[in-house]
Amino acid sequence: MITAMELSEALAGAVERAARSVFAVHGRPRLPSTGVQWHAGLIVTASHTLEPDREVTLSAPDGRTLPARVAGRDPGLDVAVLRAEVDAVPLAEVAADEAVRVGHLVIALGAGPRASAGIVSALDATGGRRATTDLLAIDLELYPGFSGGPLVDVLGRVVGVTTSGASRHFRCAVRAAAVTRLVEHVVRHGRIPRAYLGVGTQTVELAEAARDRLHLGQRTAVIVVNVKVDSPAAAAGIIIGDVILSIGGHAIADPEALLTVLHPDRVGQGVTVSILRGGEPRDVQVIVGERPHRA
Amino acid sequence: MSALTAPETLPPHLARIADGLRQVTVEVDSGTGGGAGILWAPDLVVTNAHVLGAAGLRLRLADDRHLDARVVAADPRADLALIRMPRAGVLTAAAGDSDAVRVGSVVVALGHPRGLRRTLTAGVVHALATTPGGRRWIQADLRLAPGNSGGPLADPAGRIVGINTLVAGRLAFAIPINDVRRFVAAALAALR
Repeated sequence: MITAMELSEALAGAVERAARSVFAVHGRPRLPSTGVQWHAGLIVTASHTLEPDREVTLSAPDGRTLPARVAGRDPGLDVAVLRAEVDAVPLAEVAADEAVRVGHLVIALGAGPRASAGIVSALDATGGRRATTDLLAIDLELYPGFSGGPLVDVLGRVVGVTTSGASRHFRCAVRAAAVTRLVEHVVRHGRIPRAYLGVGTQTVELAEAARDRLHLGQRTAVIVVNVKVDSPAAAAGIIIGDVILSIGGHAIADPEALLTVLHPDRVGQGVTVSILRGGEPRDVQVIVGERPHRA
Repeated sequence: MSALTAPETLPPHLARIADGLRQVTVEVDSGTGGGAGILWAPDLVVTNAHVLGAAGLRLRLADDRHLDARVVAADPRADLALIRMPRAGVLTAAAGDSDAVRVGSVVVALGHPRGLRRTLTAGVVHALATTPGGRRWIQADLRLAPGNSGGPLADPAGRIVGINTLVAGRLAFAIPINDVRRFVAAALAALR
C-alpha cells in the first residue's frame, strides 16, 4: 500500500536524483534549453536549440559555466551530442528500454530543476510526420526551455529526451535506446555520421489519378531538382525529375521526411528508393553514403 | 516502485484530502467577481487582494451557509487580504511549511474554476521561483482557472503550502504559505 504522500516523496526524490546530471544549455539567444550527461563528457540536448556556428556553454547543476562543442547531430530525431569537460557531474541513470510501458508515470525535467508530470501515452508516436518507433508520445506539458531535458520514471531513471521539435501534434520524447545509439556513434567514431543521398528535392503534389492507380496513401512526394556528381544517388542512376515516393518502405511526403528516414544507422546500407519516372513506378537500390563535411 | 503496483490506493486517498480541503475553503463573492478563500481561524479568512471588489463581501461556506464579512487588511502588492467573518463553528485549515516543498512533489488545488464549485485539480511542483522584485512563488504544473484565486494549494497530506494566485504560461503560481503566515501575523499585530 502506498499513500499519495509517499508517491509525492518518490517523485520529488526522482527529480532530485535526475537533476544531478542536468545542465542548462546556452546555444541560442535568450531562452536556454536543457541537456543531460549521457556518457562521460557527452551531454545530450535537442538539436533545434543549438544554432549553427554559435558557441555553446553549459551551466552545470552546481552553477559552474562550462564551454562545450557540438560533437554530432541527428536533425531527424532532433538530438545533438555536446562534448564538454564536466568532472564531478554524475551520469544519468538510463532505464532499460523494455521497461517503458504506456500509462507509466513520467516526469520531464528542465534545468533549474523544473518539473512537469504526466504519463506515457504511446510507445510509437506514429501518425505524425515523423512516424517512428524512436519516439514516445507523452501526455504532459513541455514548458519553454525543457527541450533536450530528460524524461524520467518514478525512480529518476531516464527513459527519453523530450523535444518540442519532433512533432507539432504530439508531446514527444526520443526513446533512451535511440539516444544511446547516437551517443555510441560519438563514443566510437567521434561524430554522428549524416546519411547522404546527394539529391536536392522539393515537395510535389501527386495527381489523383496517379495516386489511385498506384494505391498511394500520401498526397505529396518529393521531386529531385538536383543530383550531386559522384553521390550515392548519381551512382544509383537517380536523375533530375524523378519523384521519390518512399525510401525503405517509408513514405516521403516532404523533404524533411528524408531526414527522418535517412538516420545515421543507414550510412553504408542499401535501401530501396521507390520513384516515379515519367509517371511509371520503379524501384532503385541506393547505397546510403555519408555527408562529406561538417557536423 | 510499489506506487505502480498498487495504484488503486491513491484515488480514495486523494478523495479524502479533497473532502478535508472543501471543509476549509470558502467561496468569496465580492459582487464584481469572486474566488476562493481559506479558513485561517474560526473568524478569519485569507484570500487574494485581487478577489476583493469595491462593494461588500459575502462568503459561502462548505455547508452552503452564507455569511457577510469585511476586509480587515489588504495588500495589493503582495496580493493578499485578510477577511473577518462571524464565528460559525467551522474547521480551520492546516498550514504546512512552504520552505519544505520539493520540486516534483504532488500538489492539489481546491477552488471554483469558472464557477465550478469546490473543484479539485492535481499536479506537481514545477519550480520554486523568485520573480524580479523579490516575490516568491510556488510554480505548479497544475490546471487553474479564474475562480481558483485565493484558494488552497496543498500537499497530499492536506497541509496547505500556498495560495493559488495567478496563471502564467500555463503554470499555476501560488504564494508560499510561509509568506501568507507573515502577512497575517503583521496584519493582526497592526490591528491591536
